[in-house]
Amino acid sequence: MEIVISLAIGVLAASGVWLLLRPRSFQVIVGLCLLSYAVNLFIFAMGRLTPGAPAIMPRGGFINPTAYADPLPQALVLTAIVISFATTALFLVVLIASRGLTGTDHVDGQEREP
Amino acid sequence: MLEGTGIARLRRKDTFTGMIEENLLLILVGLPFAAALAASTVSTTAHSAAAWVSGWLLAGGIAVLAALHAPIAAGQVLRARVEWVPSLGLDLTFRMDGFVWLFACLVFGIAILVLIYARYYLSKTDPVPRFYAFLMAFTGAMIGMLLSGNILMLVVFWELTSILSFLLIGYWHQGQAARNGARMALVVTGLGGMALLMAMLILGQIVGSYDLDRVLAAGDVVRADPLYPLVLVLFLLGCFTKSAQLPFHFWRPGAMAAPTPVSAYLHSATMVKAGVFLLVRFSPVLGETEVWFFAVTGTGMLTLVLGSMIALFRHDLKGLLAYSTISHLGLITALAGIGSNGAILAAIFHIVNHAVFKASLFMAAGIIDHETGTRDMRRLSGLIRAMPMTGSLAIIASAAMAGVPLLNGFISKEMFFAEAADWHNGTWLDNSLPYLATVASIFAVAYSLRFIATVFFGPQATDLPKRPHEPPSLMRRPVEVLVLGCLIVGILPGLTLGPTLNLAARSVLGADLPFKDIAVWHGLNLPLVMSLVALATGTALYAIMGSRIAAGPEGPPLLHRFRAQRVFERLLLSLTWKAPRSAHRLLGTERLQPQLRLIVLLSIAAGAITLWGSLRRAPSPLASPLEPAFALMWLIGAACAVGAAWMAKYHRFASVVMLGGAGAVTCLTFAWASAPDLAVTQLLVEIVTTVLLLLGLRWMPKRLAEIEADKLLPSHLRRLRDFVIAVVAGGGLAGIAYVMMTSPLIPNVGDWFLRNAYVEGGGTNVVNVILVDFRAFDTFGEITVLAVVGITVYALLRRFRPAPESIALPPDQAGLEDATLANTMLVPSVIMRWMFPVMIVLAAYLFFRGHDLPGGGFAAGVTLSIAFLLQYLAHDARWIEARLTVLPIRWMGVGLLVAGSTGLGAFLFGYPFLTAHAQYVDLPLVGKVPAATALMFDAGVFALVVGATVLMLIAIAHQSLRTTRLRARDATPAQEEEAA
Amino acid sequence: MTVGPEHLIIAPILIPFFAGALMLVYDERQRRAKQTISLAAAAASLLVAIELLIRSKGNALTGNNDIGFYLLGDWAAPYGIALVIDRLSAMMLVLTGLLSLPALIYAAAGWHRQGQHFHSMFQFLLMGLNGAFLTGDLFNLFVFFEVLLAASYGLLLHGGGQLRVRGGLHYIAVNLTGSLLFLIGVSLIYGATGTLNMAHLSNMVPVLSSAERPLFHAGAAIMGLAFLIKAGIWPLSFWLPTAYMAGAAPVAAMFAVMTKVGVYALLRLGFLLFGPTAGASAGFGAQVMIAGGMATVTFGFLGVLASQGLGRMAAHLVLISSGTVLAAAGVAMAGGGTEILGAALFYLLSSTLAVSALFLLIEPMSREEGGIASLLALTADAYGLDEREEDRQPEVGLAIPGTLAVLGLSFSACGIVLAGLPPLSGFVGKLGMLQGLLAGGAATPALSWALAALLILSGLATMIGLVRVGIQTFWTGDSDPPRVMALEIAPVMTLIALLLFLTVKADVALGYMQDTAEAVMRPKIYAEGLLGAPRAADAEQMSDEGVWP
Repeated sequence: MEIVISLAIGVLAASGVWLLLRPRSFQVIVGLCLLSYAVNLFIFAMGRLTPGAPAIMPRGGFINPTAYADPLPQALVLTAIVISFATTALFLVVLIASRGLTGTDHVDGQEREP
Repeated sequence: MLEGTGIARLRRKDTFTGMIEENLLLILVGLPFAAALAASTVSTTAHSAAAWVSGWLLAGGIAVLAALHAPIAAGQVLRARVEWVPSLGLDLTFRMDGFVWLFACLVFGIAILVLIYARYYLSKTDPVPRFYAFLMAFTGAMIGMLLSGNILMLVVFWELTSILSFLLIGYWHQGQAARNGARMALVVTGLGGMALLMAMLILGQIVGSYDLDRVLAAGDVVRADPLYPLVLVLFLLGCFTKSAQLPFHFWRPGAMAAPTPVSAYLHSATMVKAGVFLLVRFSPVLGETEVWFFAVTGTGMLTLVLGSMIALFRHDLKGLLAYSTISHLGLITALAGIGSNGAILAAIFHIVNHAVFKASLFMAAGIIDHETGTRDMRRLSGLIRAMPMTGSLAIIASAAMAGVPLLNGFISKEMFFAEAADWHNGTWLDNSLPYLATVASIFAVAYSLRFIATVFFGPQATDLPKRPHEPPSLMRRPVEVLVLGCLIVGILPGLTLGPTLNLAARSVLGADLPFKDIAVWHGLNLPLVMSLVALATGTALYAIMGSRIAAGPEGPPLLHRFRAQRVFERLLLSLTWKAPRSAHRLLGTERLQPQLRLIVLLSIAAGAITLWGSLRRAPSPLASPLEPAFALMWLIGAACAVGAAWMAKYHRFASVVMLGGAGAVTCLTFAWASAPDLAVTQLLVEIVTTVLLLLGLRWMPKRLAEIEADKLLPSHLRRLRDFVIAVVAGGGLAGIAYVMMTSPLIPNVGDWFLRNAYVEGGGTNVVNVILVDFRAFDTFGEITVLAVVGITVYALLRRFRPAPESIALPPDQAGLEDATLANTMLVPSVIMRWMFPVMIVLAAYLFFRGHDLPGGGFAAGVTLSIAFLLQYLAHDARWIEARLTVLPIRWMGVGLLVAGSTGLGAFLFGYPFLTAHAQYVDLPLVGKVPAATALMFDAGVFALVVGATVLMLIAIAHQSLRTTRLRARDATPAQEEEAA
Repeated sequence: MTVGPEHLIIAPILIPFFAGALMLVYDERQRRAKQTISLAAAAASLLVAIELLIRSKGNALTGNNDIGFYLLGDWAAPYGIALVIDRLSAMMLVLTGLLSLPALIYAAAGWHRQGQHFHSMFQFLLMGLNGAFLTGDLFNLFVFFEVLLAASYGLLLHGGGQLRVRGGLHYIAVNLTGSLLFLIGVSLIYGATGTLNMAHLSNMVPVLSSAERPLFHAGAAIMGLAFLIKAGIWPLSFWLPTAYMAGAAPVAAMFAVMTKVGVYALLRLGFLLFGPTAGASAGFGAQVMIAGGMATVTFGFLGVLASQGLGRMAAHLVLISSGTVLAAAGVAMAGGGTEILGAALFYLLSSTLAVSALFLLIEPMSREEGGIASLLALTADAYGLDEREEDRQPEVGLAIPGTLAVLGLSFSACGIVLAGLPPLSGFVGKLGMLQGLLAGGAATPALSWALAALLILSGLATMIGLVRVGIQTFWTGDSDPPRVMALEIAPVMTLIALLLFLTVKADVALGYMQDTAEAVMRPKIYAEGLLGAPRAADAEQMSDEGVWP
């Protein structure tokens, strides 16, 4: 199973990086989204995989930690999701504004002279 | 007993006087700076006031020096110390011996004369406070440099003189020449200062102290040290740049653009003399070696000869004087290089003499310039009739410069000749000294003669800019005083300066130095012969060459083409402007793609370097079995990701959809891996992000035709390169993830959360408990980020102006336009309207169950904002705002305040911020209440999230409304860019 | 109610937070009120910072290094998040405070009217900065980095316009990538060590198993990249000049400390995780810091020489300053002794203040007629701002007498400090570093010489560049002097006064820095102190039982 997840992370990251290096601001933002998926999965993977483990614990009583997924990475991912959502939105607006002011959607604000 | 008390009293007396002298030293250094402060406060036109106040303070300084004469004459060394940065050995230690005393007298004396002179020289329009303030501050820096008993402080004052001389030279900064001269002086002397600093630092390391006395005593240690050559080079770099030795002489003529009083001061007694002062001072430490002799004496002689030769060929009065100064400094440098007792004595003597006659000559030249309006010797002529007094003074002074007997210049020159003829170490340089000396003084005689003959004799000049006449007598007074000095010292050297000079030489070379009598007549000896030869040949040379020189170009034959100054200008330009510019362009970039590429490459490198060789590990048994369904799902996910990457350029809509697909698969993965919270949140965020992107699409340029450049080879190569980078990066991340997932789980803090989530945190949904309790501070920061982004987006879109072509409603994107949806598809819009209450309920549900089941404030907030969003999609914005008014920013503020004050509440109970303190108040129903504060905190989160998200969505959705107004506006975009 | 003094540690975060949040509730037009709140908040946090600094001095018993701890939510370390205040963080807090007040006063001259919610963003920036300096938890550090970055995005774009938006686009893109790297690094470290608490980590590093260590190193390296980006280290610094130039004057003045956050993080984590006691990981990354720092200084002074405008020059001066500190810190990490580190910290303080003052000077120096007032009018009609402000008329600029003289003096003071010329504080800092180097600081003499030469050269280049600008501005301009408001020049004078004070009191300041360096070199105190920090609840129980530790 791990192999699938890691491959998924790999593919997401690769597509993200590829887009990150493109000249069009829209490509960059899509790339950032893909990269943040990859990173979220990556953080999550750091807590190892525990498929089928109950997400919610019983009220009280003894708890055997190994029976549950490591909650901390999940918490981190949640924070990361929110923050990356916010920054993505901001970046989107900035690139719209840049497109409006410079008249082009090239990341440098001007078409590259060939 | 009695004697005891007597001695005691005596001691007390000593310490008492010692204290007085200590304070006197400090006063001495302080006075000029005080004068500078005083002068800087007078009004810009109060010439006399500024001059008087500075003059009186300087006179005070001279009085102090007079008071200090007794102990100095007794061979005492006075010290004073003020702590500044002892931990760095950087203290204001002042130290005065005979040499310093003599030099200080020189500086103060000439300073006063220059003041009187300047009072009449400066025109009414010049802003005087600046002038006097700078001049006085410069004097202070010079005195500080002389008196420094700490070699680091010495550098400090040294650099101060550089800075202040820059300001003085550039005093008339309206002229290009002044600006260039000032800048060049600063650059050269600044460079020298840095070198000197390094030299002193290393010296201090070698000696183990920065105290001048310790350093002066440690000559042998220094010379034996392996770093000695380096120290020497840096030290000489400092001295030579300051006292304008070849090849650093070029800044001096440029500095002639300064007002004449400044030239007279800087280039006779102070600035340029600082270098030779250091040479003489440190010759016992660094000198007495072969390399020292060759470096210093060699440079000195070269400067002496070349300087005097060039001086002969200058037409500008001040130019002539400048180069003669250079050559005289070369003479002193050469003497310092020889370093024998007699040489040092001669050096000190010539420092004084040169200061006296050169100052008077500069002033005379200034008077001539002032009264005739020109300094060109080819135009000046026969001035002796117009200004007899000034003329005769100048003639005497230049005779002293030429070394005519019975004038002070003569005697020190004689001593120089004696040293030159004397045998020191028998090297070729040593043997050639006498000839070089003679040649140089031949030129000296010639240029002095030229100065006298062309300016004062011959037919009276007719085409002068001004009608020449005597200057106001007070303006001439300083010159008279100085020339008088030349005469007295020249006739009675032994009586006037003899003792002081011996004192100075002793304080440099050691107390056991035999007293050397200084007399005019030493009998008919080799030096005298040399002088006579020089006088005769020099006169002859001028008699023959005079007319031809006047006709010739500025500067000596052959050499006049080669102008060190211009060369330096070009060098400076290329070194400080052109070269850095190209290098900077080479090392940096303004474009974004290379920067991002660099980041990716560097992170790949970071991973590779740290992990190389340690990633080989067989998957351990705890790898869970492969589920085909899951694998298939990710096949789709991967396809979506790649598709999104592929489409993003030309088919943005498709790309956004596929992005959503990849996101959806990620959600499913979280769900599958038993992380429902992640799944829910990711899904909600997914929706909002997609909507935002779709709204944003409308403002992107339509791209139907392919870009031509993309078909070319270079862009293909670029893509190939980026493709490789991307694959490597992705592969690396995947590899790390795989290794980490298959490596055994190490004990981590996560277990603690599981154990304590319910017991201490009072919730069964561990993740949510972590977010709102254990690590609530993270959430606290996270919502702040949301808030900031919200207001940023709002603020930015207030200023939004779309590109001209996207103002008109684009036909091809109309399908995804928000406002048009209501008209195009009626049914969905109705459904959406009815969704509103449903979703509000859903939000509430998600919110309340958050602590125990997946959900929570964030999820609820996003849900509610999606509800609002749907309304916006269903109708145009106006319809909505007519019916319900949301003030998103208020929501945000309130949300933050609620969350914050919930955390603050814990203070009341003496607990830290964000302590969920319900669990410490024992209430009966321990099932629900423990989460009370956490729930309030979550409420704050909820409000904030609603506010921020709605704000962003509305802000973007609104743009289509504003286009109508903007259509009118985009006619004049130009100056608006400048505006912001 | 009793709000004990222990809560003072979190005040530098909470004061700006509440101020910022409160101002969101206010209406956008009530600028005067917002301004007052903002100034009050900044002043308050400055006072708190100073108090914390005094506390952190400690006494001989505590090794002149009292470390304060604050367990958020009263959860014991390493599980909860903890704030830590020691000499280093206290110093950075004070520095931030010292920069924030002048910047705000300057903004009151009208800059804050150029866009929306200036003051809220400014406060959130302060919150982010202080949080980053205080937190003792890796992921929390990330969060505060995001807070200050988000705020900086907002402030950089404050006022809009093509230059800012374009610069902002690059700035944001680069920093988003950096944040992703930060996340990868943090999660790797967690995966390899199972903790996020810095102190806990510093205890674990020496005993890591050979299987985990490489992964931990990888995480640290990738996270370090993120810090290097923030610190503006070559070749990750190309975004910086444009961004800093584009920002409005008060914003740029505040940005002067932003690079220092990256430097601080590198210092803090470098010495905590890879200090002398880190066993197999000791000195990890020190070489990178040295090399990167030196490269940055080189790039910086080339840029200073190559740039025409003062703005670009000042931005490159920022690079020089952070590069110098980083290189010196690297030398210290490689075992170069505390002298050089202490001097570097002193240099950091003075150079940051000077650069900030310079950023405030740029606009008045290169001002045509009118200044901010006319600028506002222009923007207003350019964007048709549909807001009616109760203070529409521009602030009355009481033009100070001898404007040029004042500007010139301030400018040359900044220049002298930045070029490290005597007699101002810049010289003292540089001198200290040079002495540390010559006393055999760096690993190899060649390196010492190279670094020393670089210090000298950068100083010289700074002097040449600034003199060029100064001559252009003050000596060639024969037009009548610009109209500068007291509100704009007062902050500059304040900063200059601080620099002079720093110069006169150099020995005291340097002494503090030396002790700070000593403390930083001994991470054990930090680690054990934090992990042993008592929870309020436990303390309460103990007091109930009458047992007091």
